[in-house]
Amino acid sequence: MSRYILVKKASIHDLSTFYSFLIGLIISITVGSIILLIQDQDPLDIFSLMLKLSVGSIDSLSSSLNKAIPLILAGLGIAIMNTVKLWNIGAEGQMFLGAIIVNLVYINTDFGSPSLHIFVLLISGFVGGSICMLFPAITKVMFGVNEIITTLLTNYIIIGFTVYLINGPWKDLNSLNFPVAAYVGEEVFLPTVFGRLSIGFIICILCTFGTYYLIDKSVLGYEMRITGGSRMTAIYAGINAKQKTFIAMLIGGGFAGLAGAIELLGQTHRVSTGISQGFGYTAIIVAAITGMRPIGIFIVGSLFGVLTIGGSVIQTVGVSSYIADIIQATTLFGALIALFFFTYQIKEVKDG
Amino acid sequence: MNQIILETKQISKSFGKVQALNNIDFYLYKGKIHGLLGENGAGKTSLMNVLSGVYQPEKGSIYINGEKQVRLTPDASLNLGIGMVHQEFRLIEDFSIKDNLTLSKTNIYIKDFKKAYDKYSKIFSLSAESNSPVSELSVGEKQKIEIMKLIFSNSNIMLLDEPTAVLTPQETDQLKLSLDNLSQEDGKTIVLITHKLNEIKQFTEKIFVMKNGEMIAKDLKTKAVSHKTLVNLMVGEITSSKVNKDNPKGEVKLRIENILHKKTESDLNILEDVTLSIKSGEILGIAGVSGNGQVELANIISGIEQNFNGNIFINDIDVSIKGVRARKELNLSYVPENRLGVGLAPGVSVLDNSAIKEYSAASYGPHLLKNKLLEHLNLLIQEFSIKVPDPKAEVSTLSGGNMQKILMGRELISNPEVIIASQPTRGLDVRAVEAIHSLIIHQRDNGTAVMLFSEDLDELFKLSDRIIVLYEGKIIKEFDIDKASRQNVGLAMAGVHE
Repeated sequence: MSRYILVKKASIHDLSTFYSFLIGLIISITVGSIILLIQDQDPLDIFSLMLKLSVGSIDSLSSSLNKAIPLILAGLGIAIMNTVKLWNIGAEGQMFLGAIIVNLVYINTDFGSPSLHIFVLLISGFVGGSICMLFPAITKVMFGVNEIITTLLTNYIIIGFTVYLINGPWKDLNSLNFPVAAYVGEEVFLPTVFGRLSIGFIICILCTFGTYYLIDKSVLGYEMRITGGSRMTAIYAGINAKQKTFIAMLIGGGFAGLAGAIELLGQTHRVSTGISQGFGYTAIIVAAITGMRPIGIFIVGSLFGVLTIGGSVIQTVGVSSYIADIIQATTLFGALIALFFFTYQIKEVKDG
Repeated sequence: MNQIILETKQISKSFGKVQALNNIDFYLYKGKIHGLLGENGAGKTSLMNVLSGVYQPEKGSIYINGEKQVRLTPDASLNLGIGMVHQEFRLIEDFSIKDNLTLSKTNIYIKDFKKAYDKYSKIFSLSAESNSPVSELSVGEKQKIEIMKLIFSNSNIMLLDEPTAVLTPQETDQLKLSLDNLSQEDGKTIVLITHKLNEIKQFTEKIFVMKNGEMIAKDLKTKAVSHKTLVNLMVGEITSSKVNKDNPKGEVKLRIENILHKKTESDLNILEDVTLSIKSGEILGIAGVSGNGQVELANIISGIEQNFNGNIFINDIDVSIKGVRARKELNLSYVPENRLGVGLAPGVSVLDNSAIKEYSAASYGPHLLKNKLLEHLNLLIQEFSIKVPDPKAEVSTLSGGNMQKILMGRELISNPEVIIASQPTRGLDVRAVEAIHSLIIHQRDNGTAVMLFSEDLDELFKLSDRIIVLYEGKIIKEFDIDKASRQNVGLAMAGVHE
């Protein structure tokens, strides 16, 4: 009698994550094409239209990259938390709380210099995201409560709180009764670097390298990795596992909060339910596809930004924008399956 | 009346290269209590798993009530009335006692549960109501429910794997009465697997002894055999030590005084009044059956467990209230028993794991110098001839021997003042064992004080200068190696000391 077992490969190719992403992309485009064919559309036409309208001009390219900013930042936050092997499902809520804190600080402060003001506001966004993570972090560290549940549930609380604010105390009286908060002043709008691309993208690049450094090159990152591998090993090594877990969670939440701040100051300019259109959830896909690697998150996040814009523009020719969602989701599926086969091999063992 | 109810002939079973059972002949008399004695890894539990259908033997045959069993599956075994209580409980914590007892499809008391429960809870002197959830019971009570479960599922052959390991002495006495009652009144056939000599003498009528997967003594009459005979059978002859023990000993490096440690959730003393000291160049062996406080003692000395009373001195510096890091800075090394999970972090690269002891030396402010880590790993690989395919490979993909060498090497390379090594060779093949032993000896010759926890008596006798026996958290005996005999150490491990 013999049976088959999965064995982890001793060495995994450095680019295996990249290859599996490519495989995932091929699978997802195939699936997308089939769906388009069923709808009597020519996939080639639709995809070239998507490309043209999402990266074809300075304006469209910069819009696409603007969409990538929250995906990348929240994705980086998820990756940081994953160094201690925890999952942040709450990037969505952290983005909202980040934006709320930014608005709160904006209402109550006034700095002479706009650039200083913007800087303070961005920091407030980061702090807002961290605050949003406080409850999951404290319950995790003190009682070991599953962070997937707590971060997910805080989303609903924070989004509910946002809805309350924009219907109640922060409601803009000039908004024709729409539930939105008042605009922030133009002096704190994020400046653009080229086309419509906001300076937030530069922050993204900095944060990508910062995260790479933190995870891969710093002592703190090392300690977080050991903590993630085994909390007992961390304690054995004299590493304060609870403290590292706590720090990783707060930084992770902070990155998503920063994304919220950039959305507020760069895109929506006011607190509304439109601060995030599910970016916090898409960021999970981005982070997972790339195996939590910062540079990968930057690349895939940018690509997903393109897909989002591409998905919304093809609606003009009568194709549902959900085609873009389908592509994103099947990319994750395909990539994870491919990564699985890069990581494991199937081995035959004799039974008994 | 000596009716044989179950018999195995020439049963063999191997796992990979390890021969767990080798031509085992074993039989049970109906209505008697049998003891199955042997060291850890002797094959006792494997044999019981064959009988309860969990393992399929490669060869040999099993007869139950004289009938040959072609293929004994867990199901078939249950239907034939064989039931087993495992070392780890298999109860459903959230279910009530009643639900747990009547869970098995072979259960016979579902209709008149109340009557049966009243009867057996009296026999086991269990006071809990049958509708209370199992999670509310104490460990001892859970043990009783496990045994009662066998009765309720109509098992006539009851295999009990180390049933007393979790019990207090009083509970153990109580268990004996209950088991006597079951065998005499209900005619149950009982097998008690243990390595505690006192208990096997106290509980059983017949004794079988296993060693290294073989049945080396069968059907001994408990009344007629002495402790010493049993110990000799169980641990075998001593292999002569080839290690020179005349190296110079120096100052006391590690001294611990009056260590008292309680389990957090109970008042049970895990360690009591443990005092010892180790000199430079000396190896102190700690013998004892696992679960007698070894892990806790090692954790307390290394600083992982902070909840204890007593004092610890490294080079005469009191470190009792200092953390892991402060003790590491005094160059204390610890090779924990749990290799992967404590000593090494699974899922993390070999490189990261190789730096756990001294990564702060490779740091520059917040920056971690990867080159230094790599240099350090390469040094380990050369010095200890470790086979590592790729520094980035996950440590769990290495072989057991190489994993242990990474761990040992990491802890030894700094030439520590004190090293605590817990089961350093468990599960390794002969060559790896030799390599680890010579590392320890080499380290001793460099003037390190070594504390060696081991369940392997050969290893302890080969390496140690002195042997201390831990039994139920206390040092019940200390031997100088030239005055120690395997027999006396074995007796002390089983809790016997005159």
